[in-house]
Amino acid sequence: MGALSGWIDDFLAGTLVIVAVFAVALVMSVVWGLAGAAGKLFGPRWLKAVIRVYVTVFRGTPELLVLLIFYFGAAVTLTGIAKIFDPDVKFVDIPPFWAGALAISMVAGAYLTEIFRGAFLGADPGTIDSAKALGLKPLQVFFLVRFPQMWRIALPGFGNQAISLIKDTALISVVGLEEVMFTADMAISVTQEPFTMYIAVAFIYLALTSLVSFALRRAEARANRYRTAG
Amino acid sequence: MGLDLGLILDSLPRLLDGIGITLAILFASLAGGLAIGTLVCAALHAKGLVLPRLARAYVTFFRGTPALVQLFVVYYGLAQFEFVRESPLWILLRDPFWCCVLTFSMNSGAYNAEIMRGALSGVPSGPLEAARAMGMRRWPCFRTITLPLALRLGLPPYGNEAVSMLKTTALASTVTLMDLTGVARTLVAQTYAPYEIFISAAIVYLAMAWVIEQGIGGLERRVGRWAE
Repeated sequence: MGALSGWIDDFLAGTLVIVAVFAVALVMSVVWGLAGAAGKLFGPRWLKAVIRVYVTVFRGTPELLVLLIFYFGAAVTLTGIAKIFDPDVKFVDIPPFWAGALAISMVAGAYLTEIFRGAFLGADPGTIDSAKALGLKPLQVFFLVRFPQMWRIALPGFGNQAISLIKDTALISVVGLEEVMFTADMAISVTQEPFTMYIAVAFIYLALTSLVSFALRRAEARANRYRTAG
Repeated sequence: MGLDLGLILDSLPRLLDGIGITLAILFASLAGGLAIGTLVCAALHAKGLVLPRLARAYVTFFRGTPALVQLFVVYYGLAQFEFVRESPLWILLRDPFWCCVLTFSMNSGAYNAEIMRGALSGVPSGPLEAARAMGMRRWPCFRTITLPLALRLGLPPYGNEAVSMLKTTALASTVTLMDLTGVARTLVAQTYAPYEIFISAAIVYLAMAWVIEQGIGGLERRVGRWAE
């Protein structure tokens, strides 16, 4: 394990890249999930059909394949567009960071669509009716009555998706994102110790997923703080 | 820049060549995952302090790290040790196919152990206490009461796990295997038509996921046929 000592800085830099992709993808996936859930709950029939296809496709396709479609697809499309303006252009691509964040967030967004929709419907209808009867405006009903209940129902599923997202960031190394897998590859070419380096990567991910699941347990405890037993 | 339908039709037969390896990895890993899951679940419930803690650490590690990293540790990592290279198991461990099966089985085993633990703890205690009170011994009790009830609770999450395992097999393409994704990546490198080929591959995965869901759904109806 002594071989690791010279690479701590590089692994730390790679870890920051993972955290950055994760943060961007998490925000994006919440946007897709909220939009999908809203569309499925209140949208016209055609929009519901579109969202159903989105959810089915992105839940049933391997994350790696989604990533490859986004990265190479965007590259071909952008190169085609660039050639219209400048025929000498050989190859244009979007950075692996953004292609990757978009791809893994679209997958998580498909799961979150169903999680958020279920949470919206899971709010006790009696409390909604009472709030309306008391004369609360629709926005007040949503933020004061429905949202606190949704939060409680959606948190466990949301937490699982957040942990999946962290693990999915490892895939983006396949299209050239310079994160911890890339650091490990560099370190291996020098030290010839693949086991040491990949195990180090595994423990970095384990630390990140443990941190997130700890934070989620705290959030769940907070969401349920006014609940009586049962 | 429309989709080239002819290219999709041409690439489908070649993509279908990759399905064999994808299915072989999938079924071997599901079988291995069930075996490992059963052992780890038994260890989680074992008496004493050491075994349950080891099992808990196993589950935490395999659920908390990416399958891609686990695969690289096994396929590229183990070769670092001379005793591995000189052991008789090296014939299997230098073969990317068996590395995938080993890694995915261990990964699936961790998830299965949790599914089994959850299903067992969800079995109501009433019928069990009644049977014990009537003098049934532990094993018949487990086999005829706990197991069927736990199966009914565990099948829905197991269906999700099986679909998730299908998606995990796509990682085989990162260790040189020519599974469905591997063939697709080679075809894209040759034709430079990522949309047509990757989307065709995605459709094949969707079809396979659908078959798995239908199969598990049928099983669920069968084990649930006495439920009110």
